[in-house]
Amino acid sequence: MRTEDHRDWKLSLGAYALGDLPADERAAVAAHLEGCEECRAELCSLEGVAALLPLADPDRIEGPAVRPPADLGARIEAQIAAESAREGRVRRRRRFRLGVGGAVAAAAVAAVLAIAILPLGGGESSPAQQVKFASLPNGVSIDATLEPHAFGTEIEMYVSGVRSGTLCRVFLRDAQGRTYSAGSFRYRWGADSHAQLSSALDLSQAKVVGVHAGNRTFTAPVDQATALIGGADFDAT
Amino acid sequence: MGALTRERDVREAYAAHSGELYGFAVRSLGDAGLAEEAVQETFLRAWKAGDRFDPEIGSLRTWLFAILRNVVIDLGRARAARPRVAEGGVEPSVEPLEQALLAWQVEEAMRRIGEDHRRVLLETHFRARPYSEVAEELGVPEGTIKSRVYYGLRALRVALEEMGYED
Ligand SMILES: [Zn+2]
Repeated sequence: MRTEDHRDWKLSLGAYALGDLPADERAAVAAHLEGCEECRAELCSLEGVAALLPLADPDRIEGPAVRPPADLGARIEAQIAAESAREGRVRRRRRFRLGVGGAVAAAAVAAVLAIAILPLGGGESSPAQQVKFASLPNGVSIDATLEPHAFGTEIEMYVSGVRSGTLCRVFLRDAQGRTYSAGSFRYRWGADSHAQLSSALDLSQAKVVGVHAGNRTFTAPVDQATALIGGADFDAT
Repeated sequence: MGALTRERDVREAYAAHSGELYGFAVRSLGDAGLAEEAVQETFLRAWKAGDRFDPEIGSLRTWLFAILRNVVIDLGRARAARPRVAEGGVEPSVEPLEQALLAWQVEEAMRRIGEDHRRVLLETHFRARPYSEVAEELGVPEGTIKSRVYYGLRALRVALEEMGYED
């Protein structure tokens, strides 16, 4: 077969793959395909794309280009900068508490940080504890840090992956199964989703921390043993 | 590792991928305001989980699209839950979203190929117009229409491959 013939056949393969050839031409291409391995391979690579075309909506293809608003990038950067500053604060506080609570192992660190600890007015005997919410549904993430106070327990909670507007009611539970409310917050898209809550239950009495998020409830055990040695920096996740 | 932990990395990722992410968000949510929220939430989640991104495993683009996909599902649920409780309490299926992503990718690929190729594919295939009619309208021989369909499909395949498509 002459090369230019083969080239002509090949140029018909697009229309063939799309099923847009008239019946007689279609039959002729099919006959050529029988005897031409190269054209068969070419057809194969076009057919996958041709099969996807019906998914596309021609009006959307020709419609005006969809572009994000010019200031969206700046808004995202501002939000991340704010989160970053706030997280930096939280991490520093936790490091300081490690200095206070982790007596022996952290003695050297404590010495270095001694000046920084003072303004925070330490003096608490048990440090903050991060609890672990296990077996969360895919996409949902919850972090909570508990901190003992004279009034009870301060809870810092971060939730993501539930629907925007979900009412989250946070509670602590003691060994007898009694529930102590720690207040509520609403999860909002894009907003700072860290909530500061507090409960009257003393951290040393707490067995469980939980959150009712919409119609679902998630809980995590409070470990009294690690409540005393915990509070370590948990940058590593 | 940790390719998205610095704010500067987020800026670069935004510059490179926000257009596509936003385009897909609009396509699947059908609302510009929600699409903005979705893109914002996507970059925020990406930054928070930045140290879990491993460029050895996959591209940043694929990772961002995976996050956006979850965000869109969450937003879709939030919207579906608002007016009424779904009958039987069935979770929204994931399938239409995968299809929306694929559809959007095909549309985006169509926008990326040359104008001549796009025009011919739109008129002959999507609008089912005869090759002879389109040839006359464009003032070119019918054979040219046929070859543009062929090269258009090939270009489309390349554009889709750039977006991660493989068959
Ligand atoms: Zn051939």
